[in-house]
Amino acid sequence: MEKLTQLIARILNIDENSIHDASSPETISEWDSLNGILLVIELEKNFNVKFTMDEVMAVKNVSDIKAALKRYDVKAEVIG
Amino acid sequence: MMEKANFSDYLNMNKGIKRDSPMPEIKVAFLSNFTINGLPEILKVKSHQESIWIDYYNAPYNQYIQEILNPASGLYKKEPDLIFLLLDVEPFLGEFFFFPYRYSIEQRKDLVKEKIKEIEDFLTILQERSKAKIVINEFLVPAYSSRGILESKQEYGLTESIHKINEQLRDICKNNGRLFTFPLNSFCSHQKSNPLSEPKIYYLTDMKFSTDGLIDLASEYLSYIYPLASKSKKCLVLDLDNTLWGGVVGEDGPEGLKLGPDKEGRPFLDFQKLLLDLFERGIILAINSKNNYEDAMEVIRNHKYMLLREDHFACIKINWQDKATNMKEIAKELEIGLDSLVFLDDDSTNQALIRELVPEVTVIDLPKDVSLYPSIIKNLKFFNLFHITPEDVKRGKMYVDQKKRSLLESEMKDLNTFIKQLQVKVMVRSADESTLDRITQLTQKTNQFNLTTKRYQEEEIYELFKSADHLIKSITVEDKFGDYGTTGVVIVKKDADKRCWHIDTFLLSCRVLGKTVEFALMEDLIKRAKMEGIENIKGHFIPTKKNKPAENFLEECGFVLSKEDDQIKEYTFDFSKEFKTRILVDVEEWKS
Repeated sequence: MEKLTQLIARILNIDENSIHDASSPETISEWDSLNGILLVIELEKNFNVKFTMDEVMAVKNVSDIKAALKRYDVKAEVIG
Repeated sequence: MMEKANFSDYLNMNKGIKRDSPMPEIKVAFLSNFTINGLPEILKVKSHQESIWIDYYNAPYNQYIQEILNPASGLYKKEPDLIFLLLDVEPFLGEFFFFPYRYSIEQRKDLVKEKIKEIEDFLTILQERSKAKIVINEFLVPAYSSRGILESKQEYGLTESIHKINEQLRDICKNNGRLFTFPLNSFCSHQKSNPLSEPKIYYLTDMKFSTDGLIDLASEYLSYIYPLASKSKKCLVLDLDNTLWGGVVGEDGPEGLKLGPDKEGRPFLDFQKLLLDLFERGIILAINSKNNYEDAMEVIRNHKYMLLREDHFACIKINWQDKATNMKEIAKELEIGLDSLVFLDDDSTNQALIRELVPEVTVIDLPKDVSLYPSIIKNLKFFNLFHITPEDVKRGKMYVDQKKRSLLESEMKDLNTFIKQLQVKVMVRSADESTLDRITQLTQKTNQFNLTTKRYQEEEIYELFKSADHLIKSITVEDKFGDYGTTGVVIVKKDADKRCWHIDTFLLSCRVLGKTVEFALMEDLIKRAKMEGIENIKGHFIPTKKNKPAENFLEECGFVLSKEDDQIKEYTFDFSKEFKTRILVDVEEWKS
């Protein structure tokens, strides 16, 4: 299982260290709508979860992703 | 083996790729009424892996109508070679899709007509305003109906209506060389993973296809790219042991091989059926195998279930020399480029050897599991052509005939005796609508024996064909071993005052050279000119990197150099002179 920040860094093709809880489409230019959807697909695959449409719509930044994963009992150490 | 690239891998790869100088460029436009982001990028990366550069235009979201109707749109500015039109059936049919049974049967029939007309009009405009080939996806037939099990009983019900639209769409495209339908329904039913996106993604983004679906779709679309880039392959080079049959003939003996109607033999039998079908479509087959020649030939000649026999292979290399050397010899003997060869061998060392030493050859990774062999053949996309002419279909056999001719040639010491033995017949035929395809193809493909190397598009040849001041002849050649098909083209432009003929194009496929066919043809042309009372024949030689074989031809025929301008030589035929070259073949006018 890939760690959350690794996964985001891979999909957005950016440096892992530049990803913080407050990172969002507003702060990371690579995070466009297509990459946003790719993030959803890859997160679901990697963490073996299925988000609802509402959950996807509610995500505004990295911290929201972490909260959503926690609801699905994904272990804190892989969320990071 | 490399792990299969996923969607984001493709997007990232797309950012890093560069055009290498010899890559042919194809301009591709995408028009759709839903989100297809990623598809152009993936097609670009996949094409790049095949050394083809894609310059694409993805029309703005759901603006395909504006793009088609506006002559100044980005679509037309791009001047695409290829247009993909992807229409989702829901927005295309609108209300009718959701409430088909609010309409009467008559209204439903009219609606189908209307919708077909709409697409036909779009396709007409696209053809008028661009020179692109156009690929339109069939409409996806839905599984759901409020009529449930009775849906299939509805006259012009939703399902039937969409089938009708697809059927008529195929009819429109069938007899038009520029239009192609993409079989979306069979595509969707044959993918390993669902090609359609899950509902959440669909509602959030209006992406109809899943990310995996877009990757698979791009693979299919590559089939249209190969022939546009002239990258279609011609020849399959096959290993024998554990490729054409299961087991090793030297160890297991012919009886011990897996090949036949039993469980273990069927994958190989099916594999050979697919190869035989490709041969009958015109793909050349060759063998490159490390084996005792006699052992392997025993199987090929006498094994009860062997479908591919000696006469299906244009070149057979069964020996103990390395396969890279064999491969080069195969290309040389068949006189085709290494880059038109595809190599199928189960052994990864041999695969690696060819990749390393003969990188021009396409090497296919045969899977460990032999039950997957047939699917490997079904997934080969690079044999696609936009037209299959009768010559293409015969190609596999023609190369086998050639093998027999070479055998005769090596037995005959004297060239003239050899040519006479061949009993070559040349037929000169006035172009008609059934041969224009092949004539166009020859002007595009013939490099060596070609005086002027003028490349013509179908439409241009058609115009010349219709014009009264042009003479277009196609040349068919056969000998006692078989038919070479249409292998030459002569185009003559007649002067308005009827005094002079200009040889616009004079070309012959190199397969028929060396038999005095070219001289026979010129003699025939001169004879005709005389009969029509022509005073002068003018011909040009325009040098290219490849047409050296034709350089001295006009002189050899008795033409005299009359002008030389920037390396272009103009020759004139003097009717007072005798046409001297000895001709060893018969020429006759096509009787039909």
